[in-house]
Amino acid sequence: MIEVVLNDRLGKKVRVKCNEDDTIGDLKKLVAAQTGTRADKIRIQKWYNIYKDHITLQDYEIHDDPKVRKDG
Amino acid sequence: MANRTDPSAKSIHGTNPQNLIEKILRSKIYQNVFWKEQCFGLTAETLVDKAMELDHIGGTHGGNRRPTPFICLVMKMLQIQPDKEIVVEFIKNEDYKYVRVLGAFYLRLTGTDIDVYRYLEPLYNDYRKLRRKLGDGQYSLTHMDEVIDELLTKDYSCDIALPRIKKRLTIEAIGALEPRKSALEDDFEEEEEKEDEEQPMDTDVGGHDKDYYRAQSPTKERGRDRKRDSHRHRDRDYDREYERDYDRDRGRGRDRDRDRDRDRERDRYRDYGREGGGRRRSRSRDRKDDGEERRRRRGRDRDRDRDSSGSPRKMQEPVKKKKEEKKKEDGTDHPDPEIAEANRIRASLGLKPLRP
Repeated sequence: MIEVVLNDRLGKKVRVKCNEDDTIGDLKKLVAAQTGTRADKIRIQKWYNIYKDHITLQDYEIHDDPKVRKDG
Repeated sequence: MANRTDPSAKSIHGTNPQNLIEKILRSKIYQNVFWKEQCFGLTAETLVDKAMELDHIGGTHGGNRRPTPFICLVMKMLQIQPDKEIVVEFIKNEDYKYVRVLGAFYLRLTGTDIDVYRYLEPLYNDYRKLRRKLGDGQYSLTHMDEVIDELLTKDYSCDIALPRIKKRLTIEAIGALEPRKSALEDDFEEEEEKEDEEQPMDTDVGGHDKDYYRAQSPTKERGRDRKRDSHRHRDRDYDREYERDYDRDRGRGRDRDRDRDRDRERDRYRDYGREGGGRRRSRSRDRKDDGEERRRRRGRDRDRDRDSSGSPRKMQEPVKKKKEEKKKEDGTDHPDPEIAEANRIRASLGLKPLRP
């Protein structure tokens, strides 16, 4: 279980607990549950790499407490 | 400027018609190549040509939410605001199904409640296939009547929030519309007669409201509900049994603990028997009182026999065990409340629980 921090630079900073083998799509659903934005409106990126929905966090090498940016 | 609304256009729902599409999506459309190249300087006639070239519907797709040509054309229609006759022509045309959907979508966004129901309901009878682009970029199959149903019942479609329209029941109540007459009504009545002959097993009342509102044949749904809810139906009886027993036997809650704590059972029994008024005092007495139940329960655990009060218990014990096990698998009973909460959310989204 890892804990990922997402920030949308507009005031929403969210810590989400998830498994390493969750996909980005699952992470978006968890974030949507926590922030109230719709899951399909969320775009998750790191610097300017936009993360695709079907790839797992493990494959993107997202480990505990990285800085991942969330965009609405 | 290409992105300004036609100055002679009326305001829709109290706002600039382009504002019906929210800001983020609007900006994405303005930056889109299809919009810049093809949708520049379109008029109502040339719009028809573009619409005929459509081959899929959809909202946005991909990581950066690219808009589909369908949505760009919807935006264009909002910008130029064609007359109602033209939109109705779009809807009435039989040859080009995507033009029809485009017209229907535009009418749903801009028309009054009565117009929406009047012009969109005949489209329920159109069952042609449509191609829809999903959010992840893949295509899926849908049908015209499914799309119309979505427009009339949901409030979000193709990434656009649809304006609120009154429910059909309300409009019928004020008399502005006739009650809906379905094209399947004759078939539906036949099915109803058949249903009345069978034993009505379905107690899903909520489903009936939905059916009336949508005025679709409820038999199909009922069949589905019956299969889906048959195990749940049993559980409902199980709960009712429990409650009835609660009235009869005061210490009902303790019985459940009894299943787990076998050690303290005998003591509890002795006390309980005295309170409960003789139902469980001794085996011989039980045999005298509940001879029949005893016979049925033969071969089961003695303790459990004393607990249960009727034959439905036989089926319910394994079900209850399954429910308890499932709960543990979900992880929602984790000692750490944060993790339990997170697991609860994951379970509701259909994800597996957290692994430490």
